Amino acid sequence: MLFREGLVRVLGDGGFEVVAQVGDASALHRAVIAEKPDVAVVDVRMPPTQTDEGTKAAKEIRERHPEVALLLLSQVVEAKHALELFSEQPEGFGYLLKDRVLEIDDFLDAVKRVGKGGSAIDPEVIAQLFGRRRARDPLAELSPREREVLALMAEGRSNRGICEKLVVSPKTVETHVNGIFTKLGLAPASDDHRRVLAVLAFLRS
Amino acid sequence: MKTLQVALLVAGVWLGVAVYHVQIDNLSGYTTPARSWAIVVGAWLFLFTGTFAWFRRPANRLGPLMAAAGLALLLRQLRYSHDSALFTIFFVVGELAYWVVAMAVFAYPSGSVIDKAERILIKVGFGVTFAFTLAILLIYDGSRPLKFFDPSPRKSAILVHGNGDGAVALQKAFVIVVWGLLAAAAVALIVRKLVRATPRARRVLAPLLVAAIAVALRAVFESVFTFVHRPSAILYDYLFWWQIAAFVALPLALLFGLLRTRLARASIGDLVLELERTPPQSIGAALARALGDRTVEVLYWLPERSGYVDTSGRPAELPKYADRAVTRLKHEGEPLAALVHDPSLLDEPRLLEAAGAAARLALENARLQAETRAQLEEVRGSRVRIVNAADEERRRIERDIHDGAQQRLVALALQLRSAQRRLPEESDPEVDRLLAVAVSELQVAVEELRELARGVHPAILTEDGLAAALDSLVSRSPFPIELDADEGRLPAPVEATAYFVACEALANVVKHAGASNAKVTAHQHDGMLVVEVSDDGIGGARANNGSGLSGLADRVEALGGKLRVESPPGGGTRVVGEIPCAS
Repeated sequence: MLFREGLVRVLGDGGFEVVAQVGDASALHRAVIAEKPDVAVVDVRMPPTQTDEGTKAAKEIRERHPEVALLLLSQVVEAKHALELFSEQPEGFGYLLKDRVLEIDDFLDAVKRVGKGGSAIDPEVIAQLFGRRRARDPLAELSPREREVLALMAEGRSNRGICEKLVVSPKTVETHVNGIFTKLGLAPASDDHRRVLAVLAFLRS
Repeated sequence: MKTLQVALLVAGVWLGVAVYHVQIDNLSGYTTPARSWAIVVGAWLFLFTGTFAWFRRPANRLGPLMAAAGLALLLRQLRYSHDSALFTIFFVVGELAYWVVAMAVFAYPSGSVIDKAERILIKVGFGVTFAFTLAILLIYDGSRPLKFFDPSPRKSAILVHGNGDGAVALQKAFVIVVWGLLAAAAVALIVRKLVRATPRARRVLAPLLVAAIAVALRAVFESVFTFVHRPSAILYDYLFWWQIAAFVALPLALLFGLLRTRLARASIGDLVLELERTPPQSIGAALARALGDRTVEVLYWLPERSGYVDTSGRPAELPKYADRAVTRLKHEGEPLAALVHDPSLLDEPRLLEAAGAAARLALENARLQAETRAQLEEVRGSRVRIVNAADEERRRIERDIHDGAQQRLVALALQLRSAQRRLPEESDPEVDRLLAVAVSELQVAVEELRELARGVHPAILTEDGLAAALDSLVSRSPFPIELDADEGRLPAPVEATAYFVACEALANVVKHAGASNAKVTAHQHDGMLVVEVSDDGIGGARANNGSGLSGLADRVEALGGKLRVESPPGGGTRVVGEIPCAS
């Protein structure tokens, strides 16, 4: 409750209009139908079982109302869950640890990105994917800076977002991105979703 | 007792000789020495076998009954005497001899007639036979023979009103009732007994088949020579010898049946020797052989439970249905064990008693073993319950951390963050700094709580199973670890145990092994989940007391599994947990 109030305040202060706040899955479905929001921010744990009602509700909303963007917040994130959620439809979808809300600007950026059809994947998930072992690990060929840029790309950030995050020029970011794609043997992607998909596909392989 | 038996035998032999002469003297034309001897020998066989059985098994009434039947069959023949008094007495009581035979047949092998229908038949038989013969004699004036081979007519000593035709008619009615209806009923009851018997009982009851044949043949014989006026000599001869053969075979069959149980008792001697080298779990089989009942089962009494357990220590109930019988064995007044067996064995209480006595010492040992097993079973069960309860508790703590403390801290941090962002431009920069520090401290606390909860019981283990949890585990490790785990869910305690084994082993790899490569595998085969963590580090690890692995070894063993640590110095470390996962 307290968290939801805080979240509403953060979103309100951030320039979003909060059209509804609800406490369980069925109220969420009704609110989605009634208000047709641009983005629904959903906690994974919901009553009554406090396990994964939020995930189920999110999947259902994606099927019935694909136009509604979804941002799932969770106490713990797992790469396995992220890959499952994103493999179906990566556009307009986000999966973040709950405490990412505390980095308010980053969080608001993620909500915006998701609302515009982009994606937001928690850095923790990306770290897990980086931590996986591969037979011949091309990630080892990346420079530390390139790894950072790859992680931010995987989170769903645009070049501009990466520039801001790393405090470097757009030109530098572009150079890194091209370098990464070449070293990993990926075809250059024209837009941000395709880029996220390509990077995720690479990381899960 | 012995004097009585000897006297009986002597009297029987003398009576037999006398009866032979009565027959030869009075049935000229219808009997021959061979026929007369045959009848005497048949009766003697009843007497001898009965006395023998009586001598061997004084407690069983079957012996005296068979001896009595033998005597009665001899006395019956005195009805052919010319003497009016002898004729009268033995005409009336003579026919009762067959009902004494019937009693012996139905009392086989226990010595008493237990079945209600059989008792009624015997009572009716005695009553009807006595009434008919008495009635016949009241009107029998000797004017014509009662049967065609009767000796020249004799007069009844208790004649009231002479009516020769009436007497003959009554005699015919008597044969119809006794040798028609009642004999058929007797055969039916024997067949019923055989059909209803359990396989073991049927083997014991086999001699009764001879009895049924004897009764049937005798009935045919009686009927033919009552209703056919002058049958041919060949037919007479034929029927006579067949029924004699059956009546000679009957006591021998009964004796054989009794000897069989004597043989069984002899096997008790073998049992004693056998039990010397029988492991406790095979006592039941040894008893089964000695008692000739393959279905014997041994249950042991556990005083502290006031109940029975089977050989493996599992609680067992005594059977409540009539198709199984129970013999309770005691030792110094205390219950020791119970034999569950075929009800037919109850007919041989001495055999059961002897077997029980022979097996007592072995049973006492086996009972102690069963008791130990039962306690072990209980301890095992409680170990599993403790592990499960601990897992359940861990899951609960994990949920509580997420839904309680962590949730509140995030909310609190968010409030502080909002406050921080609402500070007016001109406010003290120190306030802004303090709020920022407070928020970042809370973030650290939340992160720590998340790690703590994961360590207690990762949510992904409950939600997605072992393979997913191991995947999550290795992807968080500081260096890449190879993982090969079977998908698919297993019982929660098995998954949790395997996970914590891998978790602890990996923690050791990271902390102590100095390894550059590690591998985690989890595969199922032959009903076992084998989880293995291996590295190429310095080796020399041991699961000694107090280490995390020894606690896990207890946990693995609680589920009936094994935990091995192979860690030669310089040769890397391999931790292998095998956990039964029959689901």
